[in-house]
Amino acid sequence: MADEKAIERLKELWNKYEEVDGKFKDEMDPIFQEPYYPDVAEKLYNPQRPMENRITDIGPPYFWQFMPPIIQKNFGKWKSHQIIQPGVIKRISETGDVVYVVRCGTPRLETIDYIREICDIADKYCGGYVRWTTRNNVEFIVDSEEKLRALLEDLKNRKHPNGSYKFPIGGTGAGVSNIVHTQGWIHCHTPAIDASGVVKSIMDEIFEYFGSHKLPAKTKLALACCLNMCGAVHCSDIAIVGIHRKPPFVEDDRISAVCEIPLAVAACPLGAIRPATVEIDGQKKKTVRVNVERCMFCGNCYTMCPAMPLADGEGDCITIVVGGKVSNRISPPRFSRVVLTGIPNEPPRWPTTVKWVKHILEVYSKHARKYERIGDWIQRIGWEKFFELTDIPFTEKCIDDYRLAYTTYRTSTHFKFTKHVKTKLEDYFIKK
Amino acid sequence: MTKEELKAKILEVIEAKVKKGGKTKVYLKDIQRDIPGASPREIKNAANELVREGKLEYFSSGSTVMFGIPGVGIGVEEAFKKEE
Amino acid sequence: MGEVKKHDTPMVDDLKKGPWPSFVDDIYTYGEKHKKQACFDIMGQLELSYKHKETHWKHGGIVGVFGYGGGVIGRYSDQQERFPAIWAFHTLRVHHPAGKWYNTTALRKLCEMWEHRGSGLVNFHGSTGDIILLGTVTEQLEYTFYDLTHQLHWDLGGSGSNLRSPACCMGKSLCQWALFDVQDMDYELTMHFQDELHRPAFPYKFKFKFSGCPLDCVAAVARADLSFIGTWIDDIKIDQEAVRAYVNGEIPPNAGAFSDRDWGPFDIKKEVIDLCPTQCMYWDEKEQKLYINNKECNRCMHCIAVMPEALKPGDDRGVCVLIGAKSVILEGAQLSTVLIPFMRVEPPYDELKDFIYKIWDYWMENGKNRERVGEIIQRIGLNKFLVDVLEIEPIPQHILVPRAEPYIFWREEEVPGGWARDLAEFRKRHPA
Repeated sequence: MADEKAIERLKELWNKYEEVDGKFKDEMDPIFQEPYYPDVAEKLYNPQRPMENRITDIGPPYFWQFMPPIIQKNFGKWKSHQIIQPGVIKRISETGDVVYVVRCGTPRLETIDYIREICDIADKYCGGYVRWTTRNNVEFIVDSEEKLRALLEDLKNRKHPNGSYKFPIGGTGAGVSNIVHTQGWIHCHTPAIDASGVVKSIMDEIFEYFGSHKLPAKTKLALACCLNMCGAVHCSDIAIVGIHRKPPFVEDDRISAVCEIPLAVAACPLGAIRPATVEIDGQKKKTVRVNVERCMFCGNCYTMCPAMPLADGEGDCITIVVGGKVSNRISPPRFSRVVLTGIPNEPPRWPTTVKWVKHILEVYSKHARKYERIGDWIQRIGWEKFFELTDIPFTEKCIDDYRLAYTTYRTSTHFKFTKHVKTKLEDYFIKK
Repeated sequence: MTKEELKAKILEVIEAKVKKGGKTKVYLKDIQRDIPGASPREIKNAANELVREGKLEYFSSGSTVMFGIPGVGIGVEEAFKKEE
Repeated sequence: MGEVKKHDTPMVDDLKKGPWPSFVDDIYTYGEKHKKQACFDIMGQLELSYKHKETHWKHGGIVGVFGYGGGVIGRYSDQQERFPAIWAFHTLRVHHPAGKWYNTTALRKLCEMWEHRGSGLVNFHGSTGDIILLGTVTEQLEYTFYDLTHQLHWDLGGSGSNLRSPACCMGKSLCQWALFDVQDMDYELTMHFQDELHRPAFPYKFKFKFSGCPLDCVAAVARADLSFIGTWIDDIKIDQEAVRAYVNGEIPPNAGAFSDRDWGPFDIKKEVIDLCPTQCMYWDEKEQKLYINNKECNRCMHCIAVMPEALKPGDDRGVCVLIGAKSVILEGAQLSTVLIPFMRVEPPYDELKDFIYKIWDYWMENGKNRERVGEIIQRIGLNKFLVDVLEIEPIPQHILVPRAEPYIFWREEEVPGGWARDLAEFRKRHPA
């Protein structure tokens, strides 16, 4: 509990923060040494006067204070690196210092006890420092081979009650990365599919590729539970996107009470929503109507108006996109492309999605050359060849009809003869 | 226009929109359109100051934010309470 | 601490199996240990979602902390009766430190706070980069914010029509290829634009991302409205002896990234020279010497990544600034396009800050609601955006290819004599 003295100390610590403008460099902000007082806020915060003693606009803690001394010392002096085994990167500084970075996959959705366990490990081996990567991996940094061996042994043996690894080691080099993903059914209001469950199902199945270097190149996976695509799903080697397939409901009796109608109308990128009036129990009510012919199921209307839900257990499905990348290495960054859609939404293990992802990965692994990302491989062999090798049924859904669609059509006679090509005109027609 | 004048003008614009009916939550853009004399950045600063003073409140859809007068129109939270 | 009410969750429980870390095991273990009803209720609701294949989260709403237009996302369950502990389950975005380094003392204190104030569930990290605290009630929001700012000197991140929390790669803290100090620039711009980060200022969201080199590990080119990517303008540094060591098989190529597959002995011609996208390299077998025609190099990093001990980026370093990336909502996905091909940068980056204001001022004045900056550039044309808005001289680096159709919007002042003409004079020359 916070007594008067503790409250005084907090005030002094705030003064100290202001003195250095938050830029703690040689020492960490002493506020973190102070225990957490669960009752301070109730004692000091006055809901009637929220601006009293308010601290705002201070930003995140200054990054320098959270970096271990050996990193501070070698900041900007790193000379080279070697991945000595999957998940372990040895980094060598021009000062002669060496660190070993151990990369572990995490589920991203976790509890604070899991974070505390990460802290325990970091305290034991890493002097109390740890970092995360952009792709939801946690990195433990040690400064000797001896600590490295002990750490690796320790990590291997940490398991959840039902046997899953807490900290699988990998995510480096020519393997699959951890899957960047979104919230899904655990915490979002617009998803078509779950996120964490699909990710777990896929990673369980392709686990060996996370902890090894046997693919032709790095393969980045991502998942977005709806078209909002929180994360760089649209530029991933293989990605999963949840999509809706039914136009939104319009709750006539409720819409004018919970939505600003003009905002709902303005939300539609295709102008498919117009204002309307209906009569309910003899009363005229303002509402909207959706031109379902023009609806592309993006969900923007629902984002602006809760009385236009479009999620549907039966209709919502999964799309797989492939061949995107963000790195400039060899070829420029490029978008992922839709190769499969209408895959059923199958909790709790999503077997069809998992099967296709693994299959695409393995066909790629078998046929691509060293250093070729999935998109580079497809660029070389041609999309028609990709569809043939993977046995993915090509459908009209893979042909673009949105903005700039024309740029994706074939304008040359440069194509390969795959099983899709016929020799007689009559064979090209859809057989009824 | 002084900042205080601008703040008064912003409230005026939003109140007028409410009176006209239909709209009780407005984007910064909507306010800008009606106050061509001030720069968007000045309007933003003034509108945010009005929030600090409790004369306006934010309405967030998560992806975008609008401004409204406290107690006027629909707040989603109130809408949920209504359902109980 | 009372007894908790458990729900039957057979489908969700299936995700306890398999090698990848199980978020289900983690959440249940935590819930049991700390008697947190919210953990059981959220698993119960997830089970229901698995059954219905639909989310059970309602639309967000006006929850937030006083004076901030971002950082909190309102979340309500539509299953109040069955899962009362998660009826209101709001998200807080907590701004991560640049580079995602943490000291465990600080991290543990953050955990303490969240155990007291919320569900104990987190994301490390959200897609944009923030630490996501998942799940608390409306009444706790102000107290959580008070604790964050007063007891941790830590601020919320961005959401809504705000500047979103900027993010960077590991930068100079661990990587030899960081060509500018991404963490410093991230922090400096974050602090300078605190008002834009916490209070709505824009037609829609705006993101900064900083990648130290063209490999772009934070996916800036795919996600950021303004992407800062490190590059160099002078020559690649060659250590010929190390090149020979690679050629002789003494050092594994690509720092060991291909270690688990037999790709045969390293072949510099096949793996480096022939894959160079500009064909600017030459390996003289007789001399055993590597030549690079640096004037032709486009800095894709491939040769450097294959032979990190032998090749290093040049010493004259800076950033390439690109603009306009976004995911599909609304007008379709876009990658960032080159704005400033190269500039040297020095803290505190004042000229960049002014430049950013210039971009924002135009966008704020002319952008439509929910129009990202990349979309307004599409709408008006990159040429107008460069010349009329930013007053930047257009150069070939801004484009991939020149326009194909010659429909050019000439300005009147560019045409000799202007547009005002004498019709009578015209008809004198050309009788009708």
